[in-house]
Amino acid sequence: MSAGVGVNLEDLWIRFGDFVAVREANVHINGGDFFSFLGPSGCGKTTILRAVSGFLEPSEGNVLIGGNNMKGIGPNKRPTALIFQNLALFPLMKVWENITFSMEIKGASAKERRKRADELLDMIALSGQGDKLPAELSGGQKQRVAIARALCAEPDVLLLDEPLSALDLKLRQHMRSELREIQKRVGITFIYITHDQGEALTMSDNVAVMRAGVIDQIGDGKSIYNDPNTAFAASFVGENNVFRGTVKKVIGNEVMVTTNRSGDLMARVSSSNVGKMKEGDDAMLFIRPEAFSLAPLGTQGDHFVTAQVTKEEFEGNVFNIFMEGEGGKEMKVSLPNLGQSFESHKGEPMTLEYDVHNAVALPAGVLATE
Amino acid sequence: MKNFSLMRISIWVYLALFFSYLLGPLVIMSVTAFNSPGFPRAAPWECLTFEWFSALFQDERILNGIKNSILVGTGTVILSVAMGLAGALMLTQIWPKLRATYYTIIIAPILVPGVVIGISTLVFWDRVNRMLGLGADSLLSSGLFLTVIGQSTFIASYCMLVLVARLQRYDNSLTEAALDLGATHAQTFRKVLLPFMRPAIASAAVLAFLASFENYNTTTFTFGEYPTLTIELAQKVRYGITPAISALAFIIVLLTVFAALANEASIRRKELVAAARKSATVEELESGKLRLPGFLSSNTAAVVLVVVAMMTIAVVGTATVYSPAQCIANVKETKRLETDLRIQELRQRRAEEAARRAAEQAEQTGQEPATEATPKPSNNSGFGGVFAPGTLQDDSTEDPEATPQEPANDSGFGNVFDPNALQSD
Amino acid sequence: MPRFLREYFNRNGVGLGSVMLGLVLFWTIGLIILPQLSMLDFSFRPNLPPPEIGGPKDLYTLENYKYLIFGPEGGSQAYNAVDLKVFYRTLIAAVLVTLFNLMLCYPIAYYLAQTNGNHIRILALMLIIPYWINEILRAFALRIIFGESGVLNNLLVGAGVFDTPFDFIRNDIALYAGLGYAYILLMIFPIYNVIESLDRNQIEAARDMGASWTRIHRRVVIPYAKPGISSGCTMVFMLSAGALAAPQILGGPSSLWFTQLIYQQFNDNSDWPQGAAYAVVLLVTCILLVLALMRVFKVNMGDIGK
Repeated sequence: MSAGVGVNLEDLWIRFGDFVAVREANVHINGGDFFSFLGPSGCGKTTILRAVSGFLEPSEGNVLIGGNNMKGIGPNKRPTALIFQNLALFPLMKVWENITFSMEIKGASAKERRKRADELLDMIALSGQGDKLPAELSGGQKQRVAIARALCAEPDVLLLDEPLSALDLKLRQHMRSELREIQKRVGITFIYITHDQGEALTMSDNVAVMRAGVIDQIGDGKSIYNDPNTAFAASFVGENNVFRGTVKKVIGNEVMVTTNRSGDLMARVSSSNVGKMKEGDDAMLFIRPEAFSLAPLGTQGDHFVTAQVTKEEFEGNVFNIFMEGEGGKEMKVSLPNLGQSFESHKGEPMTLEYDVHNAVALPAGVLATE
Repeated sequence: MKNFSLMRISIWVYLALFFSYLLGPLVIMSVTAFNSPGFPRAAPWECLTFEWFSALFQDERILNGIKNSILVGTGTVILSVAMGLAGALMLTQIWPKLRATYYTIIIAPILVPGVVIGISTLVFWDRVNRMLGLGADSLLSSGLFLTVIGQSTFIASYCMLVLVARLQRYDNSLTEAALDLGATHAQTFRKVLLPFMRPAIASAAVLAFLASFENYNTTTFTFGEYPTLTIELAQKVRYGITPAISALAFIIVLLTVFAALANEASIRRKELVAAARKSATVEELESGKLRLPGFLSSNTAAVVLVVVAMMTIAVVGTATVYSPAQCIANVKETKRLETDLRIQELRQRRAEEAARRAAEQAEQTGQEPATEATPKPSNNSGFGGVFAPGTLQDDSTEDPEATPQEPANDSGFGNVFDPNALQSD
Repeated sequence: MPRFLREYFNRNGVGLGSVMLGLVLFWTIGLIILPQLSMLDFSFRPNLPPPEIGGPKDLYTLENYKYLIFGPEGGSQAYNAVDLKVFYRTLIAAVLVTLFNLMLCYPIAYYLAQTNGNHIRILALMLIIPYWINEILRAFALRIIFGESGVLNNLLVGAGVFDTPFDFIRNDIALYAGLGYAYILLMIFPIYNVIESLDRNQIEAARDMGASWTRIHRRVVIPYAKPGISSGCTMVFMLSAGALAAPQILGGPSSLWFTQLIYQQFNDNSDWPQGAAYAVVLLVTCILLVLALMRVFKVNMGDIGK
């Protein structure tokens, strides 16, 4: 089992006729990393996965695995193993035959294969179930068999295509940590695609955020969350409040934006956009719900926002306060529940304060749709 | 409610009539297989006999025909299933724009009349043969080759339909998974696709064999030196039908019923086994000690199958021992007596006839015809010595006068099948 | 290599892909298309003994087709009345057989499809078994029954309906019965398949609203079952028009079938081009009729399949 094989995508373009599925992708994935491609359906992440696994030849650019160019090499010759979204377990083979299929291909004897199957079954906590047929297993069990089958092939890179989307919530959360465990233990590079940003953030070392074939940002969870590159990244990952406006003044790496409804507000420019925003540009200001704190009603200033409260929710660990926002979309504020007393302000205006460092200004762009 | 039961009854009546139309001929034919007359007849029933079955097994042409049918059938199955599978796979992969045309082409042979396929096969390969400069004894003009080719042309279409139905339920990601795990295309085909298709391939093969075995329209042009059973049967019409053919039909019916029952029994059994597996616990599966239901339990088809098999064995056993000779002798004796009786009656009538005529003559001429009118057996009948009782004793053939029906039927066949008699040129 | 070909071999592997492609091409071109074209071409050639084929006398000619319409040259008639009559009779008879079959089988198919119960399986089996019997044997069975000394005549004469045995064969009744018999399965199954997928609730709803059975069939069932009906009718028509065994065995002296003419040309007259011309005429006519049928009933090719 080789650990630490990196994957590189260089200037990757994938077109289907006139449609551009992936546009100029450049990604470097470290060996041994758990790397996620995050984005809504149709953004091209599955296409990239198929290009890496060999089912698709890119229109332009290169796919390198461990430094070797994979051009013209078919999926059965690449050191990758793919876990399909529908798992694709062979229905007519027993579980142990499924798991050791890659060994059967290479001509291993039934005895060897049985032995290895038992080892892997132990690892995925399905000991003794080797003689069942896939149809006789539950969703979560099938999931684990698929993983065992892929690992048995001893790939350098394991590719996972939204493997948890068909599971229920509890199971999904359980599998998240299990997958991470397995990856750490086995030490091989995992490339994981999902549209669930919670999964991406909790499991990955690095994440690539994609939209419509374009990779908006690559970074670890914290950088993407705190320092998004695009309006899409800011709105797709986690919850965020948007304030639209135009740039009034640029002061170093901070900016004053004249917003449509809330006056002039100050924010930090995201690292990738420092120096690129100019006066008069259309801009979007993003402030996370948890970045607000209560302020005395009516306070004015470049880091104060006042609005009408429409709804209040108690979620246990936070108080969620919904206020009138622009364009009909509500603003959301989350105040931590520290045991303070809380009076309802429903239907009344409320003033909030934030730290300029926690507000991010970005050039106006497409937001993630609900 | 009365209306309803009236409808019910009429439905049942209709069904009864329909199924007697459908199955009646077969039942009657089976009966004729056991009846002794030389021409297949259900009535009058003369003697129970198994001689037609032994005649069947000794008929060289029939046996040769069976051999050829099996040869052709095997070749056709192999070629048709292969082409059908390739055609089906191609159908799932071909450009949507081309798909409709492609589908029409491979379905067309089903609609084209069998004779047209036979002729076109003959003409085309004859020409290829000539273009390649091969002689008349090359593979391309062999009846075996031509028949297999001709039949496969349209039987492959049937196979394709069966296979496509199954193929549409195939999950393509299984192929990708296999490839991804390192299998070559050939290995994927062998280990993933074929096992999945196996039931459909089996159905297609059976279908192909049956269709090939019973094909006439196409084979009748291509058989060359290799007449199949069907061709021999059709030609037998020229040489006269004997109940040996009924015997063959009966055997085929029996085999068919057998096969149908066996099929039902095995399907039922699979259902039972699957149900048992599903409700089994893990330990039972592991230790292999799962108790499977017995062969006959809750499987009516299997029970019927066993019963029919036993009955068949019993009948075959009786057949080897039983001899209808006595019965046939009896029948012959009865017939001879009948013939004698009829001859007597005829003679009597002639005598009366002659007497009447003599009486008329006497009236006209006024003479005494008495002496001339006395019937003397050897003079008045004008049949010579044919009716003398002695001559009939050793004669085993039946008097043409007494049974006018048989020869007419035999020649009736000849007329029908002699097309030249009908052309106006 | 053109792109789609490259993708094809990528998808299927070189070895397997070639085998597949080879088989399909052999089948479509070598077995379906070329022989028909060859037969068509052959029908335009004169009937030459083998050595002269391809030689100087081998020119395209219409004489085979002319023969069908006009008869032999210098013959006594203006038109080839006999052959033409046979041709029309065959087609009309095929149409009649189809209709007869349809009326016979529709109720059965409907009943099988709309009721359930174990006896359905047995009925279906009883339906299929006769078809595993050789068609020649089936024709013989009917011949025995319809013959002069057959069961049917024995019954009728014995019951006093007729004085002398009725010649079913000469009157074509045996032939029609035989043809109808032969293709019952092919009519039942397409109709059965289609009607089976008809939601029983629709019929229930119609009954609820007080519709009579004829109306239900006319307005609800039949429109829905159209693809099945046309599929069955097409198959039965083509097979009846192209039938050879039944006419040969059950046909009387006056009911020559067009296919029998073709058979004669090939086997008795050794006039292959003539036979080919007749075959082409048969084929083209059948195709045209079927296409016309499909257009009238607004069905297309894809509906025809078991």
